[in-house]
Amino acid sequence: MFTNLPKFVFFTGKGGVGKTSLACATSVNLADAGKRVLLVSTDPASNVGQVFDTKIGNHITSIANVPSLEALEIDPEAAAEEYRERIIGPIRNTLPEKALASIQEQLSGACTTEIAAFDEFTALLTDQALIERYDHIIFDTAPTGHTIRLLKLPGAWSGFLETGGDASCLGPLAGLEKQRERYAAAVESLSNADLTRLILVTRPRTSSLSEAARTHRELADIGIQNQHLAINGVMPEDALGDPLANSMIGREGDAINGISTALASLPQTRFYLRPENLVGLDALRRMNQPVDAMHPEATHNAITHLPTLSHLVDAIEADGKGLVMTMGKGGVGKTTIAAAVAVELAARGHDVLLTTTDPAAHLTETLAGDIDNLEVSRIDPAVETQVYRDHIMATRGASLDAQGRKMLEEDLRSPCTEEIAVFQAFSRVIRAAGRKFVVMDTAPTGHTLLLLDATGSYHRDILRHASETSARMVTPMMRLQDPSQTKVLIVTLPETTPVLEAARLQDDLKRAEITPYAWVVNASLAATETTHPLLVARAATEAPEIKRVQEKLSLRYAVVPMLAEDPVGACRLRALVAG
Amino acid sequence: MTTITVYDPPMCCSTGVCGADVDQQLITFAADLDWLKSQGVTVRRINLSQEPTEFAANPEVNALMQASGGDDLPAVLVNDKLVSRAKYPSREELANWSRVVVKHHETAPQLDTCCTYDTNSNCG
Repeated sequence: MFTNLPKFVFFTGKGGVGKTSLACATSVNLADAGKRVLLVSTDPASNVGQVFDTKIGNHITSIANVPSLEALEIDPEAAAEEYRERIIGPIRNTLPEKALASIQEQLSGACTTEIAAFDEFTALLTDQALIERYDHIIFDTAPTGHTIRLLKLPGAWSGFLETGGDASCLGPLAGLEKQRERYAAAVESLSNADLTRLILVTRPRTSSLSEAARTHRELADIGIQNQHLAINGVMPEDALGDPLANSMIGREGDAINGISTALASLPQTRFYLRPENLVGLDALRRMNQPVDAMHPEATHNAITHLPTLSHLVDAIEADGKGLVMTMGKGGVGKTTIAAAVAVELAARGHDVLLTTTDPAAHLTETLAGDIDNLEVSRIDPAVETQVYRDHIMATRGASLDAQGRKMLEEDLRSPCTEEIAVFQAFSRVIRAAGRKFVVMDTAPTGHTLLLLDATGSYHRDILRHASETSARMVTPMMRLQDPSQTKVLIVTLPETTPVLEAARLQDDLKRAEITPYAWVVNASLAATETTHPLLVARAATEAPEIKRVQEKLSLRYAVVPMLAEDPVGACRLRALVAG
Repeated sequence: MTTITVYDPPMCCSTGVCGADVDQQLITFAADLDWLKSQGVTVRRINLSQEPTEFAANPEVNALMQASGGDDLPAVLVNDKLVSRAKYPSREELANWSRVVVKHHETAPQLDTCCTYDTNSNCG
């Protein structure tokens, strides 16, 4: 495992890379060695309680059978909800419902949750009694660079809010100025290499590794130097003659060899793909041992008759035109699924426009000439975001002083900015969906939609004047809410965290009154013919996740197999649809 | 001494990054308020998504909220008397209410905003 760990250890990485598993295994490892350990989860989808089969929650709880380990689960969503309640509670019975709803939406963005989570971190990082009581405090999440940079800007705390008159990403901190010293101390601890180590957790995949490289750079830039790379879920190098295993080993090797020099220079630990989910003490303690499931008697897949993507395409095709959007967290395969659906529709004779934000574009670039009826366009999020930032700096920024401009620049690095810039580009494309199929590999979140829809008032105004103007007037929001015009496909992987995250995306869309059309479970081992014992064992762990999607989360669903090769070209994409 | 209080619609970001477009009207208005301050007028801005209790506490603003649910924001009060709603007033109007004289060259550049602006284009 990891050695010479300091007082504070943070695990960071995208959802589903195994932050919680590694944090739990590390904690048990340290506690078994006699250290006093506090394990803290601030993951809203925390399953630390499930891992240890102990109900934990928002207070420090002893873990059975691990004498010196205690754990604490903090839900940043609940912290954000508390914050919203602090603001809204006092006026709930005075201001009208409509005003309350708009305040609620303003405070429902990613920023509020981020700041609320940081608020919880700082309480722990600056609590002397806790620091003395434990040898190690292990966190299964870490604050983002965006949050830390904001807190380090002097302007965040002083006059800008007054003179500018507006709120900012730090809105949730308004009135908390007295906590300024505590925040400064927390940021100080994070930057102290003797006190804090940051462990970047990644999967052995190109997209996941680039994400780790980006986080590494961002956090190193703001002074967090003590970083470590953990590559989780590496396929052991014995394919046992299985073609899928063989190609996975090759692909992972290429991805790891291709990492940036900055990332390669970090101390590195690799963890092999385990046959089981890391639930329970035995599994956590096995983390250190070689994989022992390489030669079990050949078991066969328990799950059969998984619905293929072609069933979904049949139903989508019936309308003859419309908008199809794939939606999901990074790395789940939104672009692949969008491309496969687009190619299949085009091959069946429909006019299709595929619009993608895929930064690599290798998947879609090859398609343009491949199939009749298919047009491919590309939106570069980096370019769109830059254009948008420049526009705002040139307009709004022009009248601000140096401090105000710095603050504005940081606000423009917030997670909302890219989403909005990209959505603006998309809304230009959306209109084509009245005539043909438009397939996109992204979709705005419910929060963005609600804000962009001018909190519904534009929408309402149009409805109010509908009789006077054109009865056929349609806002982008109305188009997205209408299932006959728009079909949202939620893409996920057959693993616990990705499914939970996808369920949260779906809830967020529901606030905007958009019901996803279907779920697509991508990269399923259960849907392959693999006979590699480790992969067969992994395939079995997919069953409860697929069942949850089928029974609880989706109106209809499809399962797409893990592929031996990247689906480049129309032919391989169509094979994906057939399953 | 004049006190001008502006009750803003809810805004989540100083930048309007969550708006469909950045509202030049807001920039101009912020600059006008700065100018007003430099003339000795007391100016305060209150945002619905940050200090909603202030909206409920002021009888005139509360009445406005009850009537329109917030569609009539921003509201501007001069010495606690409502003088403007559902729009950001011009520098001339602000100056008149405060009995301050606007010299012509001090006027902030006004963009073509008289009929096009939308209080909701900045986030809310």
